[in-house]
Amino acid sequence: MIAAAVLRDRGALAARILDGGGLGRIIRDLALLIVVCAAAYGAVLGMWHGARLAAYDAVKLPLVLLVTATVTVGFSWIIAVASSVRLRFDQVAALTFLGLGTASVLLVSLAPVAWFFTICAPAPSAATRAAHNGLYLMHTGFVAACGLAGTRTLWNAMRRLGPPRTMRSVYVLWVLSYALAGGQVAWALRPFVGSVSPQHPVVFLRDNALRGNVYEFIGTDIVPYFWSERRR
Amino acid sequence: MDRSIDVRRGADGVLGSMDELLRRPQAGFERAAAGVPVGGWAVRVGAGSLACCVLYGGAAGFFAGGLQIGLAAIKAPLVIAWSALICVPSLYVFGLLAGAPFTRARFVVTIVGFVGMLALVLIGLLPIEWLFSVSTRSLTFAIWLHLLLWAVALGFGVRFLRAAIPEMPASGALLWLVLFCAVSFQVATLMRPLLWRAPGAPVVERGKLFFVEHFRTSVE
Repeated sequence: MIAAAVLRDRGALAARILDGGGLGRIIRDLALLIVVCAAAYGAVLGMWHGARLAAYDAVKLPLVLLVTATVTVGFSWIIAVASSVRLRFDQVAALTFLGLGTASVLLVSLAPVAWFFTICAPAPSAATRAAHNGLYLMHTGFVAACGLAGTRTLWNAMRRLGPPRTMRSVYVLWVLSYALAGGQVAWALRPFVGSVSPQHPVVFLRDNALRGNVYEFIGTDIVPYFWSERRR
Repeated sequence: MDRSIDVRRGADGVLGSMDELLRRPQAGFERAAAGVPVGGWAVRVGAGSLACCVLYGGAAGFFAGGLQIGLAAIKAPLVIAWSALICVPSLYVFGLLAGAPFTRARFVVTIVGFVGMLALVLIGLLPIEWLFSVSTRSLTFAIWLHLLLWAVALGFGVRFLRAAIPEMPASGALLWLVLFCAVSFQVATLMRPLLWRAPGAPVVERGKLFFVEHFRTSVE
């Protein structure tokens, strides 16, 4: 059972990945674990806006993780090879999935807490922006913290592969690429919590899903907003 | 005098088990490691914790007096039990990821012992709490007092957790405690009013509210 291996014996699982045997099965099992756990948390993530967004998020959250892994694995492998770390492409993929699998299991363990706060939140309306922001902050915090914890598993597996300084650089670059790509994939697949504005009804994907990016949005909307608030 | 215990023989009765938890918090883990069934111990500590929380809640109800004494006595153990229930999966996964070789018995001792430790500290604080409850007139002061007492209990709770799961780093235990604390505030908000109820007001207020908003309106 892959969940038991991730929870109780990540060291042995990482050793199997680094040995390079049976990687196809490990990747398949870890992908299945990510899909199941992220779907369960996704359902909780979207339930504030009702069953439809819950169902959408149960599909979208696993997609965020799998698409992020897919778009970063090539870069991760190139960085590893360029740093003289002897890892094959499928080993890098399996290590990426190991980190995401750990993050997913952690995330699903927090689902009861997220569920409880969601059922305690007043129903979405223009008057409940504070509840929306609170839920948004909670989910962002949970996903970010679990992602970081997942990368610790990755580090524990990687640090034996070469000189500490080299491995630290490779690890930092991998994590930065996950954060950079993950943020944008999540942005493109929005909404997750759902908006309180009637201008943004519940949809699977917004019309402008691929127009702009999250970092542009932070630079042109969020930062100027806080700046103008401070000067007021 | 030899104060060591025979791990195969559990402490007698509810009081004995609570006393053992206070004096030798490791005893439950020693029993679990030795393969001795811990179900009976868990039931006894659970019953002791329930009694402590009922008494603590009842004393808190003295702030409003009357029916609120009984209501608070019922609500206080529910707040703690519900919070623990919601946070059990995360403690289990946090512990396993930190490298704790949890068995079912060890995990039962961990969670029941944690709740028992909170209950013991709360019962120790009960006379102080009662004294302030019967004499205080300001709801704001009463709220801050209970927050302070809860913080003290949680401090001992995290100490127990650190001893129970030595594999878990301090930051991990603290993170879980913050989670537990936030959930307990939200459960208390769900069961409001706890301390003071207007005449004729319902036993449990309707309407959904976050604990931050509830705290803000209560202290105002």
